[in-house]
Amino acid sequence: MAKIFAIAWKDALVRFASRSELLFFIILPLVFTFILGGGLTGGQDVDRRLRLLVTDEAASPLSADLLAALAKSETVQAEVLARAEAQREFDDRDASAWLTIPGDFSETLTLNVKTQPNDLNAQAAERAILAAAGEVGLANSAAQQSAAEAGRLRPFADEAERGRYLDEARTQAQALLADAPDRLEVTRAATPDRVPYDPGANSSAGQLITWVFIPLIGISALFAYERQQGTLRRLFTTPTERATYLLGTLGGQVAVALAQMTLLVLFGVFVMRLNWGQAPAALALMLIASALAAAALGTALGTVVKSEGQANGLSIMLGMVMALFGGCWYPIELFPEAVRTAVSVIPTKWAMQGLLDIVLRGQEVGGVLLEAGVLAGFAVVFFAIGVWRFHYE
Amino acid sequence: MPKILTLGLKDLTLAFRDRAALILMLLAPFILTLGLGFVTGRFSGGSQSGLSEIPVVIVNADADQLGDALADIFASEDLAELIAPTTVSDIAAARQQVLADEVAAAVIIPSGFTDAVLTGSSEIVRVEVHANPARPLSAGVVQAIVEEFLSRVQSGAVAGRVTIEQLVRTGRLAPQDAPAAAEEFAQRQSAPTTGAITLRRDEAIAEAQVEFDVLAYLAPAMALMFLMYTVGRGGATLLAERNAGTLARLLASPTSAAQVLGGKVFGIFLTGATQVGILILATTLMFGVRWGDWVGVVALVLAAAAAATGWGMLLAAFAKSPAQVGSVGAALMLIFAILGGSFGPNVPLPDWVSVIARLTPNKWGIDGFAALGSGNTLIDIVPNLFALLAMGAALFAVAVFVFRRQGLVK
Repeated sequence: MAKIFAIAWKDALVRFASRSELLFFIILPLVFTFILGGGLTGGQDVDRRLRLLVTDEAASPLSADLLAALAKSETVQAEVLARAEAQREFDDRDASAWLTIPGDFSETLTLNVKTQPNDLNAQAAERAILAAAGEVGLANSAAQQSAAEAGRLRPFADEAERGRYLDEARTQAQALLADAPDRLEVTRAATPDRVPYDPGANSSAGQLITWVFIPLIGISALFAYERQQGTLRRLFTTPTERATYLLGTLGGQVAVALAQMTLLVLFGVFVMRLNWGQAPAALALMLIASALAAAALGTALGTVVKSEGQANGLSIMLGMVMALFGGCWYPIELFPEAVRTAVSVIPTKWAMQGLLDIVLRGQEVGGVLLEAGVLAGFAVVFFAIGVWRFHYE
Repeated sequence: MPKILTLGLKDLTLAFRDRAALILMLLAPFILTLGLGFVTGRFSGGSQSGLSEIPVVIVNADADQLGDALADIFASEDLAELIAPTTVSDIAAARQQVLADEVAAAVIIPSGFTDAVLTGSSEIVRVEVHANPARPLSAGVVQAIVEEFLSRVQSGAVAGRVTIEQLVRTGRLAPQDAPAAAEEFAQRQSAPTTGAITLRRDEAIAEAQVEFDVLAYLAPAMALMFLMYTVGRGGATLLAERNAGTLARLLASPTSAAQVLGGKVFGIFLTGATQVGILILATTLMFGVRWGDWVGVVALVLAAAAAATGWGMLLAAFAKSPAQVGSVGAALMLIFAILGGSFGPNVPLPDWVSVIARLTPNKWGIDGFAALGSGNTLIDIVPNLFALLAMGAALFAVAVFVFRRQGLVK
């Protein structure tokens, strides 16, 4: 046991010999978790809606209704500006979309919108404009139908009479819509009172997996380094079993990874106010299973790489690719069905799923047994390959 | 000049012979671009997002006119690619499917829903969207579909009531004829689109956007991220040569320090430009990415490589060892990536961080590629080219100053 600790301690010393390792161990993971979780934009209390430039050239009751509807939007934050100012801000790419309410809006019922060409936020802004326009359009649509029906039964004396009729109908429709009972109820599974939904949780879990998997897969570089230096062969001239060496190396790196994950979880709990602590046993199970799977993958990889440089490159690439395809950077639901199925063969998918089960869906140990079991399976298979293919030179 | 060229070509050859470096220079950005292409729906029929075949379970306990209409919408041809609906009769079973993460949401249409809406009852009878919090985007789409349907239903009901009441009030309709007129109006009322507000895209922008390929944003975003790795690696080779003594040996030959440094800089620049060029060529051939004005693309690749080379030289000037360049360079690569938009344009950043992002080659490069991809030409990206070249020149000047102070071979 003393040898195992000695090997683990030696690896930790080697890894942290350079202070720059702290960048990857804790500083960058915290920075990325904080930024991607929206921490820089002020956490949960700050208005994170997309900025929408609006130029109101109509300044009519109808355009006022539209602005009021936009003000209620959960997606965009409308900012009314003069044309020249809005043009300048839009050209400077300070906003994703620019809505112009033209002077003849009340007659044409047409809005002009400009969106930035490379901006995914622009689509969301456009949808929000359509939703607000739809809300205002409801009353207008009802009024138009009413006026059309009235004109059909008895034509209006002149346009003024039609206009008055239309205004009255619109006012009545708006009142009716305001009083109409809400016909939609949105509930969220398993979450009431227990796990409030927070998109930051997704980035917290995703970054945790990304930053822990990369160095654990990087265990392969440790093996390659020792092989290149000849220290591995020298070590085995001493009375040290191969299993002792592997346990020491893996155990040490897994322990460091668990410490890293604990720090990231604590950061999530105390700084980002995420609900990581609602099922501590399940969380511990998932973190251990994830770390073992990643470390075993690093062990297996260590048997095929030829140099430390190759191992470093591969571990960074594999870590990033597996993080992306495992749903750690973007929700996995965005991938096509075939890809979602195919990525079941990578451990990050199961690690992410298990962590989201805990933090978003309120699952406890029983709810993450499948994910933890699959990760343990990965660990066994990769470790077996690592031991089987292990070589000194 | 031939010496600088020779030294540069030597570094280029060494970089592309290094299999370990090729993994991060070419393979990683290519696979990540592929993954991001999936996320954005680029490979799934050109839809705007990667969402497709969202599993939804529907419980139609209403089984009447409006309940059936809502269920039909989910099963309609228009939504066939987006939604994969199933139907169950048991509400508890539907909720269980959400809980088991089998579906993105359950749409529960309660018994008596049609009656409550058509009679204008204020009784609380609501359609429930039971959302799966682990699939927030998909659940949001389902919610939007239900909202749109209810909005149309609401509009029809209000239009009918307003029309009849106004007709009676203005004497166009006798009160006793109102029920029959309301029924007739409801039957005639098909799609209540009259009076609806429409959205018109600005024509110039719309024309430019038609052919925009999201990969023209994502591929350079990834290429520029790993370009920072390449220049960091280049800077590290300078220190490695200094430590190994080959730099001193080179300077003992009739080669000046300026030529050695120039050759090294040229080598890093050449390697970076070749890396990004290969990635652009590969994505063009394999995914048919539409990059826009090719002259602009070439100019932007060269300018981005120059700016990144400046960063690589600065790293080498201040670092004490190749390993330090490697680790700080990797950190810089990731920080520049998140600030400059390599991880996508939706990363929530405050204004002051967006200003800092202008110090990264990623920001200027990605903006330039996006502009070219959306129909702009070389003239339109002159500010980007100028910023990148100025960045490269300024950083190179600082690096030379530091090298002069400490001596190139010390």
